[in-house]
Amino acid sequence: MTQKQILIVDDDPDQRLTIRLPLKAAGYSVHEAINYDDAIQTVKKLKPDLIILDVMMDSATAGFQLALLMHSPDPESEFKEFKDTPIIMLTAIHSTTSLRFAPDENYLPVEDFLEKPVDTEILLSTVRKYLDG
Amino acid sequence: MPNTVITNFERKESAFLVSGHRSLTEQELVYSNDWFILLRWLAGLGATAAAIAVYLFPKIGLPALPIFVIGLCVLTYNLLFFLLARRLNTSIRNPETYQRLAFAQMILDWIAITLLIQFSGGIVSPLILFFVFHIVIASIFFTRKVSLLLTILAIMLFTGIVILEYFSILPHYPISTLSKFDIYTDSLYIAIILVFFVSTMIIVTYLVTSISGRLRDREAEVIKLSEDLKISSARLQSLNDSAQVINSTLELTQVMNRLVDNTTRVMGVHACSIRLLDESSNVLKLVASYGLSQEYLNKGPIIVDNSLMVQEALDGKIINIPDVVAQSEYLQYPDWAVKEGISSILTVPLVGKNRTLGIIHAYSEEINHFTTDDEAFLSAIAAQGSIAIENALAYQTIETLDATKAAFIRVFTHELRSPVSVTRSLLQTILAGYVGQVTDQQKDILERATRRIDFLRKLIDDLLDLANGRSPRPSKEVSHIDLHEILERVVDRFRLPAQEKGISLTYQTDPIKENRIVIATVEGLDRIFNNLVSNAIKYTPQGGNVDLSLNHTANEVNIKIEDTGIGIPEDAIPHLFEEFFRAPNAREVEREGTGLGLSIVRETLNHYRGQIAVQSQPGAGSFFTVTLPLAKN
Repeated sequence: MTQKQILIVDDDPDQRLTIRLPLKAAGYSVHEAINYDDAIQTVKKLKPDLIILDVMMDSATAGFQLALLMHSPDPESEFKEFKDTPIIMLTAIHSTTSLRFAPDENYLPVEDFLEKPVDTEILLSTVRKYLDG
Repeated sequence: MPNTVITNFERKESAFLVSGHRSLTEQELVYSNDWFILLRWLAGLGATAAAIAVYLFPKIGLPALPIFVIGLCVLTYNLLFFLLARRLNTSIRNPETYQRLAFAQMILDWIAITLLIQFSGGIVSPLILFFVFHIVIASIFFTRKVSLLLTILAIMLFTGIVILEYFSILPHYPISTLSKFDIYTDSLYIAIILVFFVSTMIIVTYLVTSISGRLRDREAEVIKLSEDLKISSARLQSLNDSAQVINSTLELTQVMNRLVDNTTRVMGVHACSIRLLDESSNVLKLVASYGLSQEYLNKGPIIVDNSLMVQEALDGKIINIPDVVAQSEYLQYPDWAVKEGISSILTVPLVGKNRTLGIIHAYSEEINHFTTDDEAFLSAIAAQGSIAIENALAYQTIETLDATKAAFIRVFTHELRSPVSVTRSLLQTILAGYVGQVTDQQKDILERATRRIDFLRKLIDDLLDLANGRSPRPSKEVSHIDLHEILERVVDRFRLPAQEKGISLTYQTDPIKENRIVIATVEGLDRIFNNLVSNAIKYTPQGGNVDLSLNHTANEVNIKIEDTGIGIPEDAIPHLFEEFFRAPNAREVEREGTGLGLSIVRETLNHYRGQIAVQSQPGAGSFFTVTLPLAKN
C-alpha cells in the first residue's frame, strides 16, 4: 500500500513541525505549504489525500477561501478533482465558544476542525478517521 | 402708581398662571362692588321701612309717600346694578369697568340721600351723617382726586337744599320735635352746621383716602410679592428639576436638552441654547437648543473672535443685550437674530473647574426683557449645567479609555495565544517521544512546563473574555435565547468532572419555555454559567452537592447555583468580583487561578442588564443567584 499524502497548510513553521512529527511517526507522507498561493501550487502537483489547513494565514480568512476553492460545487471548477479531498481545519477559536464551530455543510466546506493547541492523540485519530476509516 | 405695578406683573403672570385666573386686584374690586350693592339693599329697605314708620306715626310730621318712593327707587336701581355686576363678573374683567360702575352708583346714591334729607328736615335731618358712609366707600374705589370731587358734589347738593329751603323755594318738612323753632331759617345755625358738615366731609375724605391709599399700596405690594413668590417657586422647582436630571444621567445631550427646555419655559422667554467651545477654543458648537428655528441654527458657526458678546461672556461676565438692533456690534449674526424675532439676549458663561466650557443664551422677543433676577437665575442654571457637562465629559473620557483598554487587551491576548499554544504543542511532541527517548527527569520538567503554559493559556482566555465583556457590543448580536438550553449544555459539560470528584450535580428547570427566554448572546451566557458551575465544582470537596435551579418572577428569571463547598470568608465577599482577586481559602484549594472568572461573569451580565448576588457561609457552601430580565417584557 502506498503512503497516504497529507498536506499541511500553515504559515507558522513551529505549528507545522508539531503536526508533521506525529503524522510522520504514524507512517504518513507529510508535505507543507506556507501560504495560500503555495498551497494552490502544491495541491495541483501533489494531489494530497488529506489537507490540514490553518484558518488564519496571510489574511484572517485565507484558510476559509482555500477550503471554499477546493470544495467548490461548480462542475467546471479548476479544483474539481479535489472536491472530495477531506480538509481538517485548525482553529484558534476560544474553548467556550467552540461549540459554534461544528462542521456544517452549509456553514463551511470542511470535514472537521482541530482546535489549537493540537492534541497529538486527537490529531492522529481525526486523520485516521478520514484516511484509514 | 399701583396701576402700573399691576400691569407689570400681569404681563409676567401670563407665563405662570392658568389663563382665566383672576388677579388679586380684580378679586378685590369685585368683592368691594358686591359689598356696596349688598349695603344698598339695606339702605333701600331702611328708607321704605322709615316711610312706613312715618305713615304709622303721623306725630313725626314727615311726608311718608316721597320717602317711600325714594326707597323704592333705590331698590330698583340697586337691582339693575346687581344684575349688571353679575354679568360683569362672568365676562369682562377690567378694573376701569368696575370703577365706572361704582361712580354711577355713587352719583345716584348722592341724589337719593339728598332727596331723603330734603324730605326729612333739610338742615336738621339726621340723615346727613349718611354722606360719611359714602365717602368711605368712594375712597375704596377711587383715587383721592375723584373722592374729593365726589365730596364737593355732596357738599354742593346739601348746601343747595339748605339754601333753597332758606329762601322757601323748596318746602321745608320739619321733624316735629327737631324743627320747633323754624331753625332752618336761622342763618347763624345754618352757617355753623354747614361749616362743620363741610369740614367733616373733607377731613373724612382726606383720612379715608390716606388710609385706603396706603392699604392699596400695601395690597399691591402683597400682590407683587405673591406673584414674585410664584415666579421664584417655579424657578426653584426648575433648578431642582435640573439638579435631578443632572444626577440621573451622564448622557450629555440628554442633560443639555432638559436644561434648555426647562429654562425656556420657566423664564417665559422665546428660546434658549447651550454652546460649548470646541478643541480649538475659537468655535462654539451648539449642543442643545429650544425654541429656535432650524434656519437660525444653521446660520453658521459662532467664531469667538467675531462676537464681542461671546468673548466677554467667555471672560466670565454676564452679558445682557437689551436691544439687539441698537447693540448689533456685539453680535456676529445680528441680522439673523432680528429675522428670528429676537430683540434681547442674555448670555451667561458655563464655567468649569479649570476652564470656561461654553455659554448659555436666553432669547426674548421683547426689548429690555431681562432683569437682574433673570441674570441670577440663568447663572444658577449655568452653574448646574457646568457641573453636568464636566461630569458627562469625564464619563465619556472614562468610557473611551475603558473601550481602548479592552481593545488593547483583545489584540494583545490574541497575539499571545498563538505562540503559547504552539509552545505547548512543541513540548507535547517531545513528551510523546517523537524526537527521541525522554528520561523521567526530562519528562517531569516538560510536564511542569506544560502546566505553566496551560495556566498562561487560561489567563489569556480569561483576559479575552473580560475584554469581550467590557467592550460595548452592537445590539444586533443579542437574540432571544432559551436559558434552559445553555444550562443543560453547561451541566452536560461538567457531568464527567463532577462524577470523577464524587459530586452530585443536579439541575432543575422551569417547564414553561416563555419563562426562560432572555435577550443575550449564547457565548455570553455560556461564559457566565461555565465560570459559575466550574467554580462550584472546583471548590466543593468530594461527596458534596452542586445544585442548579431556574425559576422566574413576573419580569425576571433567577438562576441559582448552590454548592456545599468551602464557602467564601465574609471579608472576601465585597472583593469577590474584583479583577485578580482570589479568596485565601480558594488559593489553598487551587494554587494557580487567574482571579478573573467572577469579574468576567459580572462584566458579561452587565451587557444583558443582569445582576449577580452571593451568599455564603465559610465551610458550609456558597449560593450564587443570577438575575436576568425576561425577554417577554
